[in-house]
Amino acid sequence: MGEYKFSKENLGKVLEALKDYKVYAPQKKADVVRFQELSDPSEITLEFTNTNVPPKEIMFPQTETLFRFKVGGQDIEPRVPEPTDKMLVFGLRPCDARAYSIVDKLWQWDFIDPYVKNRRESSTIVGFACSEPCANCFCTSLGGGPADEENLDAILFDLGEVFYLKTITEKGDEFVQKCGEALESAGDVERKNAQAQGKEAIEKIRRSIEVEGISEKLPGLFNDAIWKEFSSRCLGCGICTYLCPTCHCFDIQDETEALDGRRARMWDTCMFAEYTLHASGHNPRPTRAERTRNRISHKYSYFPEKFGVVACVGCGRCINFCPVNIDILDILGKVKEA
Amino acid sequence: MVNQEELRNKAKEVLEREDVRRLIGWKRGTYGFEAAPCVIEKPEEAVNLIFDPTCVQNSASFIVLEEKLPVPRGQEPDTRKIAVMVKGCDSRAIVQHIVEKAYDRDDIVILGIPCTGVLDRRKAEKVFGIIEKPAEASTEGDKVIVKVGNEQKEFERSEILMDKCLRCRHPNPVISDILLGEEVEKWADDDFSDVQEFESKSPKDKWSFWEEQFSKCIRCYACRNVCPMCYCIDCVVTKLRPQWTRRSTDISENTVYHIQRAWHLAGRCIECMECERVCPMNIPIMTLNRKMTLEVKQMFDYEPGLDVEAKPLLASYNPQDPEEYIM
Repeated sequence: MGEYKFSKENLGKVLEALKDYKVYAPQKKADVVRFQELSDPSEITLEFTNTNVPPKEIMFPQTETLFRFKVGGQDIEPRVPEPTDKMLVFGLRPCDARAYSIVDKLWQWDFIDPYVKNRRESSTIVGFACSEPCANCFCTSLGGGPADEENLDAILFDLGEVFYLKTITEKGDEFVQKCGEALESAGDVERKNAQAQGKEAIEKIRRSIEVEGISEKLPGLFNDAIWKEFSSRCLGCGICTYLCPTCHCFDIQDETEALDGRRARMWDTCMFAEYTLHASGHNPRPTRAERTRNRISHKYSYFPEKFGVVACVGCGRCINFCPVNIDILDILGKVKEA
Repeated sequence: MVNQEELRNKAKEVLEREDVRRLIGWKRGTYGFEAAPCVIEKPEEAVNLIFDPTCVQNSASFIVLEEKLPVPRGQEPDTRKIAVMVKGCDSRAIVQHIVEKAYDRDDIVILGIPCTGVLDRRKAEKVFGIIEKPAEASTEGDKVIVKVGNEQKEFERSEILMDKCLRCRHPNPVISDILLGEEVEKWADDDFSDVQEFESKSPKDKWSFWEEQFSKCIRCYACRNVCPMCYCIDCVVTKLRPQWTRRSTDISENTVYHIQRAWHLAGRCIECMECERVCPMNIPIMTLNRKMTLEVKQMFDYEPGLDVEAKPLLASYNPQDPEEYIM
């Protein structure tokens, strides 16, 4: 573990020096903050609480070509990313990093997904501690925290004048070697400031839920009236799931243009009717009530039952972006009461 | 502004009627600057209803969002009415629904509420940030008062209301069975300067603008689902056989989606701006709709959602209709 600091003006220099990596960093374009490949270090923004689109899109892009083929032919041309491409995810919030580790359990379960796995293994994750959590953040209820170091290779703190950078793993140390001369070693002052900031940030988290017991309770509420109560105002759109850092469902489709074809996978969502639509026309989840129930139950019951961890990190995106105020903490509160 | 007690009492009365099965209104949200739309069935639930400038959602959307499953053999479908509280723009959606025969006038009970404008959460969040408690709001003359906890702030309309409210042509419900509160005086007019401003750009600039906007679309379809006029049972963009639009997201498919959406609203959009409000990617969707609105107005002198006796624009024909766009 090493401790470093660099002045704010030197952020560009640090990023500039990282030539060995394909760097992904938060950028604000057309009023939206999301992680994209950083071609110009000046385009990075660290002024955000949570990005609009979660960084799951780096590991699991919304649309991805799995392989290409010729119509009528037998051969396929796979598009699996090379594990040797070194990726650096810079500025990831601890909750989003936690989401990576949660969904990894699925990506590496009965079938090892080479697309996600190769990206995950070739990535170095530099976290960015939160100093100002948003009003709907509740990461501390799910075992995370604004300055949680778990799942990160290094963590960055914004201490006003300077950034404090602490390495956590060997990969993190390797990254620091590449950062160039702008880095200076940090000492007690910075460490103490960072620790204080982390503590303060925890106190700034205003919403919470006692998760214990929910997982066991949900199966018994399969036919409960709460699902209808919440879903009666649900629009059935994909906001809550597409913008969720742990939602990972996808659809696979073949697309052809003349004789050139590709098999692609793209994000799918259990909030759409087509998600469970059978070829016969029957839909086992015929209304938004069953779909809402599935969204909550998958996160808080099915996933923990299978993998031992709740598939929610408390990032607050589904609450912030829902146009009709379907608030997951409200639902979970009702589940506990029921 | 409508008296909340009166509103709840009337709603309760309506729900007690034997011929009404549910009521659509708003209740206080769990946080922030927007209320939660709600669908209630029991008269005693009426105590939770509110109306103030946080009631942004178009209530008419929830009439067509109701899911009707096939009725089991031997049972009769519930044909009782739906009661719905509406602002001016919401009421226009209902008129357009009736024009399009989405349902009959007799199927609904309309509780009209004169509206003094609704909050734009994006504008409010720029001032207050995202707040963890629900805000309250009211209007007094030209001022909008927003109360966040113990803090109270006064704003000019343009600082805090949604853009649609700054050019609102119909603040009073255009149709209602029961009117709650006094009718309000119109405070604005619409000169379509926003459309003209965009029109003045060069085609190249226009395209680079939309290219950037459409590229970021994640196709969550919130804009379609929230739209009161998007109520097809099988939407063309999600149809699987044949598949007209691919599910993959890229500039081409996203553009197809947005253009298609805008065209399907020609002569139908009632300008509630819900599509733009709900967009998590901040795409200015109304810019497209407004262009269609102006076009329809200029070419056919048609404004949807005002007269239940009107014919749908695309189902009517007048020998005098301009036809310069026909090759």
